[in-house]
Amino acid sequence: MYEIFEHTADLGIRVCAGSLDELFADAARGLFGVMVANVEGVKLVQEETFQLPGSNREELLHDWLSELLYTFYTRRLVLAEFHVQVGAAGISATARGEPLDPRRHEISGEVKAITWHGLKVEQLADGWRAEVIVDV
Amino acid sequence: MAQAGYHGPLEQIDECRWRIPKSYKIGMRVEGQIFADERLIEQIRTDQAPEQVANVAFLPGIQLASLAMPDIHWGYGFCIGGVSATDPAEGGVISPGGVGYDINCGVRLVRTNLMHEDVQPRLGPLMEALFRQIPAGVGTGGPYLFGGKEMRRLLAEGAPYLVSRGWATPGDIEHTEAGGCLPDAQPDSVSRRAMERGGDQCGTLGSGNHFLEVQVVDEVLDEPAARTMGLKKDLVCVMIHSGSRGLGYQVCDDALVVLRKAPAKYGIELPDRQLACAPVHSDEGQAYLGAMRCAANYAWANRQLLMWQTREIFAEFFGRSWESLQMNLVYDVAHNIAKMEQHEIEGRRRLVCVHRKGATRAFPPEHPEVPAQYRQIGQPVIIPGDMGRASWVLVGQPGSMRLSFGTTCHGAGRVMSRTAAVQHAKGRRIDRELAEKGIIAKCRSWKGLAEEQPAAYKDVSLVVDVVHRAGLARKVARLRPIGVVKG
Repeated sequence: MYEIFEHTADLGIRVCAGSLDELFADAARGLFGVMVANVEGVKLVQEETFQLPGSNREELLHDWLSELLYTFYTRRLVLAEFHVQVGAAGISATARGEPLDPRRHEISGEVKAITWHGLKVEQLADGWRAEVIVDV
Repeated sequence: MAQAGYHGPLEQIDECRWRIPKSYKIGMRVEGQIFADERLIEQIRTDQAPEQVANVAFLPGIQLASLAMPDIHWGYGFCIGGVSATDPAEGGVISPGGVGYDINCGVRLVRTNLMHEDVQPRLGPLMEALFRQIPAGVGTGGPYLFGGKEMRRLLAEGAPYLVSRGWATPGDIEHTEAGGCLPDAQPDSVSRRAMERGGDQCGTLGSGNHFLEVQVVDEVLDEPAARTMGLKKDLVCVMIHSGSRGLGYQVCDDALVVLRKAPAKYGIELPDRQLACAPVHSDEGQAYLGAMRCAANYAWANRQLLMWQTREIFAEFFGRSWESLQMNLVYDVAHNIAKMEQHEIEGRRRLVCVHRKGATRAFPPEHPEVPAQYRQIGQPVIIPGDMGRASWVLVGQPGSMRLSFGTTCHGAGRVMSRTAAVQHAKGRRIDRELAEKGIIAKCRSWKGLAEEQPAAYKDVSLVVDVVHRAGLARKVARLRPIGVVKG
């Protein structure tokens, strides 16, 4: 699950999950939730796969969300379902969604970038928590 | 992360300046200085922006002070409204966070020879035409496409390249900061991804706080300067606020990935990862500067193409050419940028890297970089306000060279987060509220207007008052919006 928190000029996404895999998937849902108001209506007709190297979890989270932004802006794909495997050397993921259709998808905000400010991935007693501030 | 206030020291230096002493944090190389009056400083204390001013003082090679303008607010890494100058000869660094993601976000003001009374009866259809024809919104492309070779020229040459394409005049270039082109831009340093994101976005407004406004001159405070700029009371103008679009965001993001390892490599200790930086004279620093300059050039071309489309729309709407409507560019300023500039520091002229993040250059009269037409009055400074109150035209003053590396404020500065603004707007129609004040606001979404509602911003006039009294820039004219197009 994710929630949005306040930051004067920007927005924060706080994610809590039982596992790292779910944490990364929920963070991706949070990102598209910020950009598309009715993300629950997205049809899962197209599948994309992602492989990103790295071992630092915060860097990986940044890179993963940045990769999704790039996919959204250059290929105009709205993604809504994510399966992520976080391994020792990086992540592999699949995401499903459909091409952006301005008549059906209500764009609610532009995310310019995933910032490093206050970026956190932490292990808690009962799971994982991440915080990321996006530049809007 | 809770939005807690700042509880560190803020010592009053004079009527318009406050100091964060170097002793506040171990690692600060210079003190922090915030330009504000007593009223604004109370608001400034309510978030972590002053802490960020102190953090920027850690940057190697930083000169005099880590500065912030009265429109300061909490950013990421650097505060918005921050100014810092680093000397490469003393190991000075360049930091992409000190420029921001929207490289060369900026503002331009275009005049017309139309008076308010000429436009008011037809304002509705005019705003409709602008809203329909100016490309805006998230990730939206426009009618201007630049292929590989053309894009490389655009990035290397900036707005002047558009003269050769018939979309700019020499007069436009003359009235653009830096002539619309930073030299030493290196298209080879711009990633394929950045070019891809920018390919069809030059000449588009974007979203968020970017806008195109039809404004009228509400009050003239300096007649001779206003006359020099072709401004007088009740004259209709157009103000355009946009930046380098997806290309710039990607350039910044790419650089921050490269610079992850730079602080460790160069032995730089930083209190926030978003301050990542590298010495100006390092491969990483030079690569970022080369790419940043390309994004800056792209942004000047973007605002030029937005203005060009506006001229075409006005010409068609009023049935006269834009030349006969005298739609001349008054001036274009960048407010997110890093530039190498000569400044006198402790009695010595030095070439420093001035970072302006949410801050505007304000060179005084007689400065060689001020165009001939404005040499006597100083560089025009365009300060956009919120869509319900006012925007300002100022001119740079000598105080800016003494106190702030030739810099002044850039806008109103937010006081409300976007989520708080949306909450505040629940059950209201911002467009109707503005209509009651005689302002036609067009936006693609209710949320967009809610986020940008006037109450989300400081009163820009309070901000401008401070820079005027501090001698950084002088008030020339106040403008008020009558029509707004939001991205």
